[in-house]
Amino acid sequence: MNTGLIITILSAIGIVCGILIFMVNRFLPKEPESLKKTEEISGHLPGVNCGACGYPGCFAYAQALTKDKNTFFTNICATVLQEPGMLKGLGKTLGIEVDTSKINKKAVVRCYGNSGVIGNYTGIKTCNAASKLLGGYKECPYGCLGLGDCMAVCPNDAISIDKEMNVVVIDPDKCIGCGLCVAECPKNIIQLVPADSNIVYLCSYESLKNIPGREKCDVGCLHCKKCFKACENGAIIWNEEKAIPEFDFTRCTLCGKCIEACPHDRLIELSNVALKEKVGILKDKEKNKRR
Amino acid sequence: MNNLLTIFIAMVIINNMVLAKFLGLCSFFGVSKKLSDAFSMGIAVTLVMLIASVSTSVIYNYILVPYKVEFMNIVIFILVIASLVQIVEIVIKRTNIILYNAMGIYLPLITTNCIVMAIVLINSAENYSVLESIVNALGAGVGYTLVIIIMSGIREKLDLADSPKSMRGLPVAFLTAALLALAFVGFNGMV
Repeated sequence: MNTGLIITILSAIGIVCGILIFMVNRFLPKEPESLKKTEEISGHLPGVNCGACGYPGCFAYAQALTKDKNTFFTNICATVLQEPGMLKGLGKTLGIEVDTSKINKKAVVRCYGNSGVIGNYTGIKTCNAASKLLGGYKECPYGCLGLGDCMAVCPNDAISIDKEMNVVVIDPDKCIGCGLCVAECPKNIIQLVPADSNIVYLCSYESLKNIPGREKCDVGCLHCKKCFKACENGAIIWNEEKAIPEFDFTRCTLCGKCIEACPHDRLIELSNVALKEKVGILKDKEKNKRR
Repeated sequence: MNNLLTIFIAMVIINNMVLAKFLGLCSFFGVSKKLSDAFSMGIAVTLVMLIASVSTSVIYNYILVPYKVEFMNIVIFILVIASLVQIVEIVIKRTNIILYNAMGIYLPLITTNCIVMAIVLINSAENYSVLESIVNALGAGVGYTLVIIIMSGIREKLDLADSPKSMRGLPVAFLTAALLALAFVGFNGMV
């Protein structure tokens, strides 16, 4: 056995490989300048790859930001918004100033619950599966199913289930407005509203026609237009097609007249008061259970 | 031509790397949670195996065999595969950033995987020519991709199913893999 030959072959192959790597590293065009910027930007992003901004990950978002920094306003990163330090760093790198109070959003479940059930649902315990079976097991075809698909995707644990009413409640303090639950809800009843807006409308019931069992939900919208007529600032727009009120939050002055006018006292509410109260009650109940 | 076709089909379904030879199981269970991830993993594995097979079979057939130092194959193969994957990673990173984002993490992951080592050792053990090695690696890659895609499809459905608490996650995935392997035994004796 020729030991010298073996050593020569092994070291020759090793050296060739080393030279190849060196050549590739040396003579290929360097990473473009934009890539360095992208890497710098992605350093200021949370790196959790949640996908709430609409891009497949933080790096893809950073690439989009490198191309056009105004992407930050159209596809906002909710996690960065919550961290003042991160926001400052990112704003500095991008050269933009961000006013948080204007962009912050929060999610609201537009259902008060309390709708009757058609039958006992014993299938797979997700809203997605339940809604595929004849559109859900509730009398109201627009109601929250309360099985918690949105809970599973919430990155901040802001959603809890009200077992009695069979409806989910989003804690306005904890919600970071990422919009993941909006995309997840099969009933499309979660809506993003400006975080500083106080008025919420808690019903998604759309049309008066062709729906049996309308009377089964005693807190549902009556489509009486009283809130629309009561509003003096034009902040409530009546959507004729769906027969529901829509809110223009820029015009709302929080006068509370629509709340007084609504025949159902719980349908239109000052969200930060009412929702917080509800979340508080839920938490107390959970505590009692654990004891 | 007939010979090549036999090698390819045998590698894809009969001697499937994952289900018949039980190689590459770590990545098979690790990356088969989501269909999209599984697909990129399959493509990356196929690519790395192709590169490794071409280079190592050239070295084996034209350097190791003439000098009668075939016993050195493992050391030299590791050296060559590791540096080649490194080069491919640099090239992809410099030229196509989108492709790099899609499979950049997977490339270095598989470099040292047993499935890549196994395919080049099979090539040398069977004394395959360069062309046969390429077909062999392609077959193994296609087989791996096929199986990991089937597995990830099943696992995505299994996540929704109401399985007992102690069986959730990996245990039920192991059972699924065992049943899949049983199904693939049915191809035995086809070629």
